[in-house]
Amino acid sequence: MDNSSAPLVEIKNLHKRFSISGDFLDQIKFQGGRLVRKQEFVHAINGVTLDVKPGEALCIVGESGCGKSTVARNVMGLLTPSEGEIHYRGERIDHLSAKELLPYRRKMQMIFQNPYASLNPRMTINKTLQEPIRFHNPSWSEDEVKDKVVEVMESVGIDPGWGVRFSHEFSGGQRQRISIARALAVDPEFIMADEPISALDVSIQAQVLNLLMEAQEARNLTYMFITHDLSVVEHFGTRVAVMYLGTVCEVAKTADLFATPKHPYTQALLSAIPRLDAKKRPHIKLHGEVPTPVNLPSGCVFHGRCPHVNQRCKEEIPLVRQVDGGGVACHAVEEGRI
Amino acid sequence: MPLLSVNNLEVQFALRQGAVTALRDICFTLERGERLGVVGESGAGKSVLGFSIINLISKPGAITHGEVVYEDQNLAVMDNKQLRSIRGNRIAMIFQDPMMTLNPVLTIGAQMVECLHAHRKISKAEARAIALDKLKQVQIPSPETRLDQYPHELSGGMRQRIVIAISLLLDPDLIIADEPTTALDVTIQAEIMDLILTLCKEHNVALMLITHDLGVVAEVTQRTMVMYAGRIIEEGPTQEIIHNARHPYTHGLINALPEMTTPGQRLNQIPGSMPSLQSIPDGCAFRARCDRAIEICKTQVPGLQVQQDVKVACHLYSPENEVPHG
Repeated sequence: MDNSSAPLVEIKNLHKRFSISGDFLDQIKFQGGRLVRKQEFVHAINGVTLDVKPGEALCIVGESGCGKSTVARNVMGLLTPSEGEIHYRGERIDHLSAKELLPYRRKMQMIFQNPYASLNPRMTINKTLQEPIRFHNPSWSEDEVKDKVVEVMESVGIDPGWGVRFSHEFSGGQRQRISIARALAVDPEFIMADEPISALDVSIQAQVLNLLMEAQEARNLTYMFITHDLSVVEHFGTRVAVMYLGTVCEVAKTADLFATPKHPYTQALLSAIPRLDAKKRPHIKLHGEVPTPVNLPSGCVFHGRCPHVNQRCKEEIPLVRQVDGGGVACHAVEEGRI
Repeated sequence: MPLLSVNNLEVQFALRQGAVTALRDICFTLERGERLGVVGESGAGKSVLGFSIINLISKPGAITHGEVVYEDQNLAVMDNKQLRSIRGNRIAMIFQDPMMTLNPVLTIGAQMVECLHAHRKISKAEARAIALDKLKQVQIPSPETRLDQYPHELSGGMRQRIVIAISLLLDPDLIIADEPTTALDVTIQAEIMDLILTLCKEHNVALMLITHDLGVVAEVTQRTMVMYAGRIIEEGPTQEIIHNARHPYTHGLINALPEMTTPGQRLNQIPGSMPSLQSIPDGCAFRARCDRAIEICKTQVPGLQVQQDVKVACHLYSPENEVPHG
């Protein structure tokens, strides 16, 4: 076993671009009397470097379109990075073939946002849960598979007797429990949860979050938790990475980030959370909208909306620098202007 | 006289399996300029309540009982022609998804002018001037250009601002906002809620804010109504509801929020889930999930009890079963 401080998952300078110009013929344009090939890209992720330590829950927050789900899909091998590397326990995994990935898929499982879409409506719950177990443990006997299904169903609080039912017979919260059971069925080490509670009601969200925390304790799991809900992050995360337009602007321990947010975007994001408390910090207003990832702004991607912008921010891309145990990508913080 | 008073409202949907009652015994009033929050889980009947106020329930649903009195007219019995003079004119509605509510083939200006012409006999130039003024009120950058743009050219937050501008066109007395910020990001949500709040205060417009987000309700509304399985179970001043909830469901809902627990600790969950409207049990609908249920909860539906300035539908607060609070 490697020592405990070595990261379980490492994301190294990840870039992901999606072409939006269609196929080869669509890209041919007639320009200035000549045929030219023009391609346009959505720059979904631009140089993300993160590591996930064993046993922690790393939360990734950001607004829609900032690339948090794309990071998740690249890590899980559902997308291939345009540049950069993904490492699992020190081994590079992003360029492996499907067959070579198999042992990693067993250790890394994913929970998706919408349990209405992620469960096959034509399979009973037993079938849904047995499939991954059989696939990853071909030598297991029928009884061993069934015992495992009963065990995971009990661990997520679903009566094993309901295994003969289909997913449409369950409520949203129960379906999400079943998707969690499916992820746990192959005894993974690492779980990627992509907005696992966003589709659920408040009273059910608490149930599912508790379940995820119990599973983490009982099975010594490591989570990467993608969400836009900051109050959940405050509760659940060991560390938080805040993303904006395909880049990480701040990484810090959860308590530090919520107590003293450093990046101007983090500050604005935290001040925007609706609180029950009447005495909350005043809302920092951001002007304008998130720019499109097709034509990225020069320099810092946040400079168009930042209240602390100067000339350097418009020209030079800020790098993540270590500040008080966390990382911040901001020229103003580096220069001590804020 | 209150601006709006809803009395014993009942809404049913006639389905193949039989009639499903989506709302039962809904009674509340709304004063001019007052901001009321309606909270509850999905399926509790919040949206149906919003729709039924302007009688927008379409088949197979219908208002089967009760009245919705706006000023001195009962909207529940009006025909569509009469309702047209109220809808969009005196009572405006903002829906959740601005992409679905704006017509994709008409420019913003055309939609706004159309709305004005439907209610007022004014020239096109006058209508455009009003539209421009409303766009300025919702703080849209370069409003003149926006009038000639189509909805798809604008971002989600911008579209929702347009929808708010349209709802303000005829200076309504009441705006019903059904999850107006649920489809938006948190920074945009904060801006839109700020905007709605300022506009309501400035123009003394009453607001009925339907949402599942207790944080939003706490920041915007003066009074809150909590719904569960088609009924109002608690109603009162927002701060009182949030800091001193009486109904076990409201209490559980607030306590289940992550911010009510120390980070890393187990959240206070409510067990189980809301019964479907087809199979509401006898007695109190919340009984099966309630840790304080008593014998009478199994058989009798609790009525709204008045407790100082709060109304609560729970047997624990009826005079004969008085149990110490907390």
